[in-house]
Amino acid sequence: MCAQNTVVYARSLTKRYALVEAVRGIDFSIHAGECYGFLGVNGAGKTSTMKMIYCRVARTSGELLVLDMDPTRDASRIKQRLGVVAQENALDPELNVEENLLLYASFFGIIGDAARDRAGELLDLLAISGKSKALVRELSGGMKRRLVIARALVNRPDILVLDEPTTGLDPQARLLVWDTLTRLIDSGLTLLLTTHYMEEAARLCGRVAVIDEGRILAEAPPAQLVAQYAAEDVLELVDADGRLPSDAQLDGLVARRERHGDTVYLYNADNRALLHRMAALGFDPPRHVARRASLEDVFLNMTGRELVE
Amino acid sequence: MNPLTAFFTRNAWRVFHRNLLAWQKYAWSSVAINIVEPFAYFLALGFGLGAYFSLTGYGSLVQFMAPGFLGLTALNTATFDAAWGAYERRVFNGVYESMVTAPVDPLEIAAGEYLWQAFRSMLYGCLFLAVIAGFGLVHSWWALLCPLVLALSGIVFAIPALLVSFVVKTQEHLFYYFSFVVTPMVMIGGVFFPLDKFPKWALLIAWLTPLYHAVKVFRALVLGTVSGQTGLEVLWILIAIAVLVFVPVRSIRAKLAN
Repeated sequence: MCAQNTVVYARSLTKRYALVEAVRGIDFSIHAGECYGFLGVNGAGKTSTMKMIYCRVARTSGELLVLDMDPTRDASRIKQRLGVVAQENALDPELNVEENLLLYASFFGIIGDAARDRAGELLDLLAISGKSKALVRELSGGMKRRLVIARALVNRPDILVLDEPTTGLDPQARLLVWDTLTRLIDSGLTLLLTTHYMEEAARLCGRVAVIDEGRILAEAPPAQLVAQYAAEDVLELVDADGRLPSDAQLDGLVARRERHGDTVYLYNADNRALLHRMAALGFDPPRHVARRASLEDVFLNMTGRELVE
Repeated sequence: MNPLTAFFTRNAWRVFHRNLLAWQKYAWSSVAINIVEPFAYFLALGFGLGAYFSLTGYGSLVQFMAPGFLGLTALNTATFDAAWGAYERRVFNGVYESMVTAPVDPLEIAAGEYLWQAFRSMLYGCLFLAVIAGFGLVHSWWALLCPLVLALSGIVFAIPALLVSFVVKTQEHLFYYFSFVVTPMVMIGGVFFPLDKFPKWALLIAWLTPLYHAVKVFRALVLGTVSGQTGLEVLWILIAIAVLVFVPVRSIRAKLAN
């Protein structure tokens, strides 16, 4: 049932906790060598999906295969081949940087010189080699996150699973993590990540699944999602007094109109043409932003909610 | 895997090694805390209070308490770290959480913790043994077997403490265990005074606690009064380990297993 290059396969996958139904029947297949992303707000079911994949929680129903194995039966064998960057860093604050890597490597049977070589390699790769004897608490947020990624790579995993890899990082640290992940993707590693940053999804992911309230609403390459569910351009303006011309008056230049409070989003093919037409009608859009459409707009269109509040 | 076979896995020793690495960074303060405090009590009670009387049939109070304090040291060191320390490792520091994303079974983590408490109990107990030997309170070469019994005691005390660390809602609730279980156990464990004058029912309760048996063994080893009874006390501890070790399995799996 698994295609040759499918590394994660889910059909009608659900996860119910005592009080909430976190995942309500989702289907997806992740192929070897791609970077696949789940885009959604907090509580959308991203983390539960990840935890089912990396064998931390058991699924409630549905089918799930990771590397052709069932997490409920073969957790240990799956874990042997996964790299996991969980949402909480879970670095050992009582150990130094190198010890963190060596201990984790030992759980995969990588010990002695092999472990030390691998640790050195990864510290170089993630540009934290100067800190190998530092205690974890002495590291910056960005360094901690890079160390967790290094740790997840210690066993040369077939899939790297990252749950919100850059949440809480400052922009500079985020760029460094993105660089690292881009290099890993280029090297052919399969990545699976969750994010609520559309820029992150657009930048890293070959395919994105928009997930909301435990369901996948759409799945496609980011550019295709934008073209399909938004438009080329967005004109965002404040229309408090309702003077905005109707779509008909605007010569059908507006493909789709969304209103959230006083803010109106006009999805269209070309902001300049639209503004030109408005000027001809004598309407000067107050406090407007003319920009390209993004995954953020896709998300807004599909769920009526903004990704990052 | 069951909680007994987990003791014989490599991962259990890797968990042990993790604790050893962490401990090395604050070893001296840990030694001080675990030795100075019981030693202060020992001096005050044994030589201070003990100066006023001796125990009929047992000699001086200090001689009576010396082996008792070996049991007390094992109990305190193993209990505190398996409850308070393990709670921090699990909840605040995510130590176990990251272990289970690697192919480590939760029962291997538990076994590693038990082995670690065996080591702590043995280390601090032996330091105390050296102290009382210095005071001339050790009278037999049998005392060389104390490390082994300290290790077993560490395990038997660690099991309920680790269970408690897995079921409490907040770290402060651990004090319920310390106050309602550990302290009473010390009072009826035969550490400070003989239990001959206890009523039968109180003796029965004492008999049900591991400390009572551990202290009896230490006393026999230190005084050289080893007999078949001493072997039975050790057997009691071994059976207690083999039975108790199954009790926390569900709670541990509930928190850490898939």
